[in-house]
Order: sequence, then structure tokens, then C-alpha cells
Amino acid sequence: MKVIATYNIKGGVGKTSTAVNLAYLAAHHGYQTLVWDLDPQGASSYYFRIKPKVKGGSKGLIAGKRELDGLIKGTDFDNLDLLPADFSFRNLDLVLDERKKPTQRLQKLLKPLADEYDFIFLDCPPNITLLSEAVFEASDILLSPLIPTTLSLRTLEQLKRFIKDNKLKHLELIPFFSMADRRKKMHREIIEHLSEEHPDVLATVIPYASDIEQMGIKRMPLAAYSKKGRSIEAYDALWQEILRRI
Amino acid sequence: MTETALSFELPANLAVEKFIAKLSKKTVIELALQQYSLKTFYDSFDWRLYNANLICEFNQSKNGSSLSLISSLNGKVITSTELDDVPAFASEFKDNVMANKLAMLLEVRALLPLTTVDLQIYKINILNREQKTVARLMIEQYDQLKTRLSIQAIKGYDKAYIRLSALLQDEFSLKTAEKGLLIRALKRQGRKPNDYSSKLNLKLTPEMTAAEAVRVIYKTLLKTIKLNEQGTIEDIDSEFLHDFRVAVRKTRSALSQIKAIFPDEHNAYYKEYFAWLGTITGLTRDMDVYLLSFDDYKASLPESMREDLNPLHEFLLFKQAHAQKELANHLKSKKYLTTLHDWELYLKRFIEKEDLQKNTHISIKELADSRIWKVYQQVLNDGAAINEDSPAELLHDLRKTCKKLRYLMEFFQSLYPPEKIKTLIKALKGFQEVLGNFQDYEVQEISLKQFSEEMMQQGTPSNTFLAMGVLVQGLEERRGKARHDFTGRFNDFKVPLNQKVFKFLFAHKSKGE
Ligand SMILES: Nc1ncnc2c1ncn2[C@@H]1O[C@H](COP(=O)(O)OP(=O)(O)OP(=O)(O)O)[C@@H](O)[C@H]1O
Ligand SMILES: [Mg+2]
Repeated sequence: MKVIATYNIKGGVGKTSTAVNLAYLAAHHGYQTLVWDLDPQGASSYYFRIKPKVKGGSKGLIAGKRELDGLIKGTDFDNLDLLPADFSFRNLDLVLDERKKPTQRLQKLLKPLADEYDFIFLDCPPNITLLSEAVFEASDILLSPLIPTTLSLRTLEQLKRFIKDNKLKHLELIPFFSMADRRKKMHREIIEHLSEEHPDVLATVIPYASDIEQMGIKRMPLAAYSKKGRSIEAYDALWQEILRRI
Repeated sequence: MTETALSFELPANLAVEKFIAKLSKKTVIELALQQYSLKTFYDSFDWRLYNANLICEFNQSKNGSSLSLISSLNGKVITSTELDDVPAFASEFKDNVMANKLAMLLEVRALLPLTTVDLQIYKINILNREQKTVARLMIEQYDQLKTRLSIQAIKGYDKAYIRLSALLQDEFSLKTAEKGLLIRALKRQGRKPNDYSSKLNLKLTPEMTAAEAVRVIYKTLLKTIKLNEQGTIEDIDSEFLHDFRVAVRKTRSALSQIKAIFPDEHNAYYKEYFAWLGTITGLTRDMDVYLLSFDDYKASLPESMREDLNPLHEFLLFKQAHAQKELANHLKSKKYLTTLHDWELYLKRFIEKEDLQKNTHISIKELADSRIWKVYQQVLNDGAAINEDSPAELLHDLRKTCKKLRYLMEFFQSLYPPEKIKTLIKALKGFQEVLGNFQDYEVQEISLKQFSEEMMQQGTPSNTFLAMGVLVQGLEERRGKARHDFTGRFNDFKVPLNQKVFKFLFAHKSKGE
């Protein structure tokens, strides 16, 4: 089992779109796959048309009263399941803080699922919080979408420093460019510049595209309604490049 | 993830389209797929998959074709692989999981198509208000069989599953499907599972006269011979010939051991015929055995020599093919066909003259008791006469006597308490093993030497002969070990407890106590 968290300190960079589309591809290739929607806004639950509701809320979940397995919902796609969000997740930080070893909590909850899933995607809310620290502990890979702006350079460096300071040696940070607009000169320049300075950034770039934006209307992963095109190819390439990395 | 499927049948007067239309009035549905498909069931001739609670089906549609192993207990797919044609043997599958699973169950047996059904498949999604699929319904519409519905649950949507099954049962009054599709499809052809087994399953009763019982035995063996005839001719797998030969040998053994039922001259005539059948099938079986042992042969050699043995494999294949061809011709010959047909008629019609024979009217139980007891005594005496220095011939003779005893016990098994006779057969089997090995190793040594002479003429590389020499040496060692083990195994067989049971089952009654 590999746990992949889509994460960035910044919001609105394409974390959810990435988690949903890559999970779909993994499942499509035969891997048993789970998406865990950790964001109280429930965006990935919404994309799968699954009600953002968890029995017992964040308290029950973190206390481990119910096994995670009993809260999981099958999506409309083979090999792909979802653990929905709940509005009470907005206070996940507080609930975690009441526990003895808060940052190890998620890892412990995920352990029983190891036999069942090949990949677990954690769709995280932005910011560095206690929850994100718990996510870092539980994950093997931190997949971080970057919008090609000057600010993204700063957040990437911030994140790297945090990982180093906290000695998260098990965690592999994989950054890649998301929502890149070819027409914008600044985007092209930043991609070029940043790739030189940070060779660990993936070669695949997810373009800014209207078919990806439409996921919100279609309420399903991109590949479920669009069979070909630049966006599909980009996600395919991204998944292949990640597989080669791990 | 899919849970156990629940299956229903659609009544004959309810067409699928109509059912779907009615269903759409009760709940929100979406027809996800509709396609024509061909389903072919596979198993070995002796139903090994069926007996392991597995259904093997090959599904073909315009989207592709795949072979699946499905549990007949809960409908779950154990493993599935995409392929264009179904290979005959487990080792020929590219998919490793499938190959291993099948190899474990089928061993040397081939996978054969049983029956094919064509069907129209409908896959229907049951949707909730969010247009999310909360359960799936699969409809399989067949040509001459009732339409079958199965519900697949979706994880986390138990209520939808329960609601749908209640809807089908209550509103549509559907009955749950009882028998599996395979059984229904076979029935249409007048067949049923396990209509062949290599085990001799005779049901005799103590009151039967010897003539009646013996007739049952011969008829059953004849049936086995006939059932394996075609597979032997086509060489589908080596077990057809094996089962064919065992039935021939048993018939012959019965003819020579159970006398005074048929007139002597008739007995002798058919005995000779079955002896002939043994002879004409012998070479092919030998070659089959060498080919089946080849991997073992190879593994018994030092690593550096293994590849040198390959020319022997070629040689065996060639010889097997040749022998097989000759055998197939024999089994199509007039002698084979007419004599077997005569034998069948003879078993049906020959009654009048039986009256003249002295054993016709005694009860089969009496006859069985006395025969088994007598041969058992012979086994004990001959075994006791063998010591470390006895010549090999004595062990070979004893092997034959044991085989006689084994066949008698198997013929008459149903006349005795099952647990008791089974223990004795098992004990005998253990003893026979050591005798069989001793003989087999010797025969193999002799054959390998003979093969090497033949191969010499063909310019086989000298390293091959070196490897064969090492092989013969290994066989010699194994034979030596078997010879050494003899005394111990004989002692195991004649332990007082076994002797007591033998006596209890067969002795006192034969003396009329
Ligand atoms: N490559 C893209 N091209 C165009 N629009 C995109 C692309 N990726 C994401 N979007 C759109 O941008 C918005 C934010 O994307 P997304 O929800 O994936 O980001 P996020 O990082 O998960 O956001 P949040 O921080 O709110 O959780 C969504 O409306 C989404 O449809
Ligand atoms: Mg998000």
C-alpha cells in the first residue's frame, strides 16, 4: 500500500482535481484504490456524487470507534472507493490536539486498510496545521501541485524546509506544475526557471484547460467523460511519471 | 467492491424490455450496457474444477473475451484473464495466477469445453438522487433457459441493495434462482456434473448372485473403456489412456480371478482380447509416463547437466507420437470394435449357459469373502518368504498378487462396512507403493539403456548419454532404497490390527461360521 497525499500550503491549486483524476487512473489500471476526502468542503466527495457525511463525525473517526472500512463507499468505478468528508472535519485539528500522539493518528487509522488497497490518495485542505502534520506522517508521497507564479516558488521552499526541519525522512516530496497557461509568458518563464533550480519537479505539466474545469459540472473524473485530448494525456503522463518515481 | 451476488429468475411471461420499463417506474435506473455474448463452460473430463466448487467460464463478446474462475458457493470471481483462445493445459496460460490455480487442480488433465450458451447481457445501474450508482443489476437473457437477474451490492450502500432485492421479490414476485446456469445448460443436453469419474463406484448388495454382481462389474468397466476411447484416440491428455488401461486391466483381472461364471472357453477368449488391449496400449502409456517424469528426471541431475538431457525429451516425444498413432489405428480396427461390441452383447444376453456353471448361483458375498481371503493369505505367505537376499522376481510376483487383491477389494468394496474396508485398502496401497517403485525404477533403467542405444544411431551428442548415465545411476539408488524399505513396509501392512480386520471381514464367513 502506498499513501499519496495531494498537498500544498496554498489553496485552489488543483489538489482535489489531481487526487480524483490520478485515483481514477490507478483504479482503471487495476489497482485497488481509495480516496480519503479530508477537506470539510468535501470537493472530492462531490465529484463522486457521494454525500459528505461520516457517522460519528471527526470525533468518532479520530477516536477510532468505527473501523474505517465500515465508512467507505464504493464509487461508480471499478476498484475505486471513497472515504467521504464530513462538515465536522473543520475541527479535525482540535480533535487531533486532544489525543496523545496527534500526528501519528492518521497512520494508525490507515493501517488496517493495507491489505485492501494498493493506493490511498489523501485529498487535503491547504495550510500547515496539525492535520497536515498527521498527513505527512501517514504518507509515503507528498504530491504537490504548483501554479507557475512567483509565489509558488516560495511555498515550495517553505514546504521543503518544513520537511527537513521535522526530519520527515520517509516522505518523498513530488512537486509538479498544475493549471499552467501556455499563453501566459510568465507561466512559461517560471516553469523553465523553476525546473532548473528544482530538478525534482516532474517534467509533466497539467495545463489550464476548460475540460478539466468542467469536472465540477460533470461531477466525475475527467477520463470518465472525456476519452481523448491534451488534458487526458497530461494526467496519463503524470501518473506514469509518478509510477516511475515510486 | 462487489459483494456476494443474489440471483433471481424472470418468469417466462415477462420479457426483459418490459421488466426494465416497469423497473424504471419504481426506481431511477440507467442502462449502462447491452451486448450479445457467448459463454462456454470448461472443466476437465473428470470434473476437477466442479468438484473444487469452481465454475470456469469463457465469455466472448465484441469487446473481447476472457476466462474466469468463479466460486460456485458465493458467485465471487476468483481470478480472470483476457485471452482469445482457451489453451488445453494449465502450463500454457500466460497469466500466472490463472496458470498456478489451474495447475494445482487440473494437474495433467486438459481443460475441455462442456457446453456453450449464447446470451444477451444488460447491465443496469440503480441511481440515487445524486445520479450516483448505489447498486447494479445484471440481466442475462438466454435462448432456451430462463432469464437470470443478479444484484451486485456497492460498498457502503447496503440499504439500496436491500431495497432492490425487496422490490424484486415483493413487487415483481421474482423467485430466487436455484441451480447454477451450468447445471441447467448441461441438463438441456441430457448431461449432469460428475457423469464421469475415474473411481470405480460399484453398488453391489450381498444378496446378489455372483452372476448378477459380476455382470455389474464388467458393465461398469466396459462403460469406462468406452467413455475414454475417444479421448485416447485423440490424445487429449494422458489420463484418458490411463483410465482406459486401468479398466482393461481390471476386466482382465476379474476374468482370471472370478471363474466358473462364464464357460471356460468364453472366459479364455475375452481374457485374450483384453490382454491384447493391454499390449497395444502399453508403449504409448510408457512414453507418457517418461514424458510426465521428464521434469523430475531433469531436476535429479546436477545443474550443469540438465540441459544435456533435452535430446531425450525430443526422442520421447517422437516415440510417443509414433506409438500414439499406432494405438489410434488399433482402436479404430475391426478387431477392436467388433470384439468389444460382442463383449457388450455377451454381457447382455449370456444367461442360459450360466446356469451350467457352478458359481452362478452362490451369493456374491460368499464368493468375495473366499476370494479375498485366499489372495490375502497368499500375499502374507509370499511376503514372509522374502528376505534381504531374495531375487527381484519374488518381489515382482508379490506385486502382481497384491494388485489382484487390490482389485478384488475394490470390486467388492460396497459389500463391506465402508470405514473398515477403506482402512485396509489404504494399508494395502501403502505396501503396493514400495513394490511398485521397485519395479518401476528397474523398468525405467532398462528402458533408458535401450533408448540410448536407439539414440546412438541418430548421432545424439555424447553429453546426453553422460546425463542419461547419471539418471540411470540415480534410479538404481532409488531402487536400492525401495528394496531396502520392503521389509519395513511389509511389516506395516501385516500389523496385527490389519490382520484382525481382514479376518473379521473375510475369514469366518467364508468358512460358514
Ligand atoms: N488544470 C485545470 N484547468 C482548469 N481548471 C482547473 C484545473 N485544475 C483545477 N481547476 C479548477 O480550479 C478549481 C480549484 O481546483 P481544485 O479544487 O482541484 O484545487 P484544490 O487545490 O483542491 O482547492 P482547495 O484548496 O479549495 O481544496 C476548481 O474549480 C477546478 O475545477
Ligand atoms: Mg481541494
